[in-house]
Amino acid sequence: MRRAIQLILLYARVSVQNFAAYRFDFFMRLFMSFVQLGAELVIVYTIFFNTKSLAGWRWQHMVVLVGVYRIVAGGIRIYIVPNMRAVLEDIREGTLDFVLLKPVNSQLLVSIREFVFWRFTDIVLGLSAAAYGAYKLSVHVTWVQVTTFAFMLAAAFAIIYALWLALATLGFWFIRVQNIEMVFWNVFEAGRYPVMIYPSWVQWSLTFLIPLAFITTFPAGMLTGDSATGVPLHAPLLAGGMAVVSLLASHWFWRYGLKHYSGASA
Amino acid sequence: MPQIAVEQLSKVFKVPEREGGFIASMGSLFRRRYREVRAVADVSFGVEAGEIVGFLGPNGAGKTTTLKMLSGLLFPTGGKAEVLGHTPWKRESAYLRRISMLMGQRSQLQWDLPAMDSFQVHGAIYDIPKPQFQQTLDELIELLDISSVLKKQVRTLSLGERMKCEICVSLLHRPDVLFLDEPTIGVDIEMQARIRRFIGEYNARYGATIILTSHYMADVTALCKRIVVIDHGKLLFDGSLAELSTRMAPFKVIKIDLDRPVDDYAFAALGDVMSCDDQKVVLRVPRKAASTATAKLLNDLPILDLTIEDPPIEDVIARVFGTRESDSAGDGKASMAEATTRRVK
Amino acid sequence: MSGFPRAFAAMLRVNIANMIQYRAEILLWSVWGIVNPTVLYVMWASAAGGSDDGTVAGLDRNGVATYYFSIMIVGHVTAAWDVYEMSYLVRKGSLSPQLLRPILPIWNSITGNLAYKITTMMFVLPMWAVFFFIVRPHFSTQPWQFGLAAVALVLGAVLNYMMCYTVALIAFWATKLDAVGEIYFGLCMMLGGRVAPIAGLPPVVSELAAVLPFQWMFAFPAELLAGIVTTPQEAMAGLGMQAAWVALTIILFNVVWRAAIRRYSAVSG
Repeated sequence: MRRAIQLILLYARVSVQNFAAYRFDFFMRLFMSFVQLGAELVIVYTIFFNTKSLAGWRWQHMVVLVGVYRIVAGGIRIYIVPNMRAVLEDIREGTLDFVLLKPVNSQLLVSIREFVFWRFTDIVLGLSAAAYGAYKLSVHVTWVQVTTFAFMLAAAFAIIYALWLALATLGFWFIRVQNIEMVFWNVFEAGRYPVMIYPSWVQWSLTFLIPLAFITTFPAGMLTGDSATGVPLHAPLLAGGMAVVSLLASHWFWRYGLKHYSGASA
Repeated sequence: MPQIAVEQLSKVFKVPEREGGFIASMGSLFRRRYREVRAVADVSFGVEAGEIVGFLGPNGAGKTTTLKMLSGLLFPTGGKAEVLGHTPWKRESAYLRRISMLMGQRSQLQWDLPAMDSFQVHGAIYDIPKPQFQQTLDELIELLDISSVLKKQVRTLSLGERMKCEICVSLLHRPDVLFLDEPTIGVDIEMQARIRRFIGEYNARYGATIILTSHYMADVTALCKRIVVIDHGKLLFDGSLAELSTRMAPFKVIKIDLDRPVDDYAFAALGDVMSCDDQKVVLRVPRKAASTATAKLLNDLPILDLTIEDPPIEDVIARVFGTRESDSAGDGKASMAEATTRRVK
Repeated sequence: MSGFPRAFAAMLRVNIANMIQYRAEILLWSVWGIVNPTVLYVMWASAAGGSDDGTVAGLDRNGVATYYFSIMIVGHVTAAWDVYEMSYLVRKGSLSPQLLRPILPIWNSITGNLAYKITTMMFVLPMWAVFFFIVRPHFSTQPWQFGLAAVALVLGAVLNYMMCYTVALIAFWATKLDAVGEIYFGLCMMLGGRVAPIAGLPPVVSELAAVLPFQWMFAFPAELLAGIVTTPQEAMAGLGMQAAWVALTIILFNVVWRAAIRRYSAVSG
């Protein structure tokens, strides 16, 4: 465990140092983060210019959701997508062998090599938006709300990570899955709005088949602490369970894929 | 009137300066400083119809920039050029139809499709009449020996095969003037020789004017009677290969076989000892002193065999640019290059 | 066939062949064009349920369905992506070989654009059908509206294409164009009537939409198709606006293209 943390810090430090070489990108990114958040807030404004509620969500709830969407989208781009992209490329180019030769847990190593530091702007902006929305809803945001929210976010990232690891593992069998990223963002698009707007069978699928609800809707709902959003009270329980199950399943799948890889490339 | 006439052609690029340090680079975000780089400086030359001219020079010498100006991709900052009666950078369609430029490092073929598809599109874009297209294509396929690869996706071809297809596509409209920028880069030696042979044949058959740049000396020595040497954007030399070695390297190389080993100092007075392997000695002597040195050697030493040669062209060029490490060049190489350069100017 | 039509046909053919090589990729691209309007349809249908009179931007649930089904079609037919591609072409130096040809590089991009739309038809038609049969949008559109909508679609596609390509020419001055692409695309979504019907835009946004060309690319053809534009006068005025913007954009393209080539031939090392 200590070794894992050391490695994570090491890779992160290298990335932050490299960041100095991409200053221009940083400013561009910062600017674009503002623009994106601004655009998303304009959309919320537009929606509530026309209506009072979106499946029970009022504008304050929606601002929280916009913030959560930004946090999650940013987090995915800091760690998850860059690393999984690298794994898929390694599998395609055959350079995964170098990773497997290292005396470190392969799943750990492939998950921490890339670290896109400047995407933190998205997290900071997203948190601000979420906090503002929650504050507008009630001046007294309780510690319980904040803690559950943090827990839900952690679970959300665990679920997305597991999902991506599973997708990357598919690369052992299907070489051309790099387009899977397009599919992911296509589906993720649906997380911009609360899952409660969908017909019940879609809602069920987005909760248990593609656990999108756990990624944006439920964390946002928990931060608002408002039952009007339709987020079930036992959502944290479900989220924790979902996170553990998907982490274990994806870990098992990765090991299974590795076995297949070593067998096939020998 | 030569087919290609270049007068005082110049190209100056503005390059943003990068400064070290965080504060300085923050400043450069808002106000950039530029440095002027003279890629081509007052270059003048003329090429007659049907000539093959080789451009020589180290990386960044200005060869490619010159070719790009002549093909109309770049605007010069000064000077004039006329090719086939056109000013290239006006990019008139009538001009573009009569020239072709092959960039060894850039592909004009559709990566995911068979080369044949790219050929067809080329024929349509240049509006080549069908019978002529078919005839040229057949000839090129035969000359380049590519009939077996036409139906394969370009990305599956070897580098050499791909290069031959690139050459084919750029010749389909039978250009009168051909600019070849590194046509043999990255391909193996045998393929280099074949491409070279093909260029020679094409020139002989169609009388096309060709300007060629290459890193490989063999390309140039095999194809070009005339050499233009460019370095730091300036034209250093324009003439035949033989002339190049006389002017750039005023040396002869004398190789001798001895009957028995002799002390080094016996040769030292005559010239530089480039190698001395027991009974085989290679000497470099000034061109003018070659005959007296030979006489002296034959007189004083137990000679079995003696030959006098021009230095290899690679060494000549290496000396001109002072860039290449050559085992036959002594310590004085760099200063020698400078001296030669000065002489040429 | 000779001259320009021959070159055009040959480029179109080879671009289609190329698209077929990339069918998996372009399938995913076209899926986005289905998912996005579907999500927005569901969202606005839900919003209509939450408003006082059960409508948004003058559309009830059914109207929203019809509008977004139309947007789905319009979005596909008018798609353009040169603003993303151009900086790649410039950076890779792939533009140089194209500039050596005696035909403007834009024609190659145009045939590529058409090739994408032709090739993806086999994917999007079934997906449109699925949407249609699940959501069952109701069209009260008259034949004359359908006819004019077809014209408006073509004009919208040309307008978006030319504008997108002209904006893409910024790549000749700036190397990183991702942000420009994102902003252009964002404006298409927000001010083009794709995120929300034009009538539902709040004050400042709708004033911006009125003076910019984006609504004439997407919203207007979609409204004609959905039967929201009811009078011939309105329809003709809209077509006139489209034509005016197209003319303006083509002039703009010519000016910027000349400057871009001068720039390219001054600096491309």
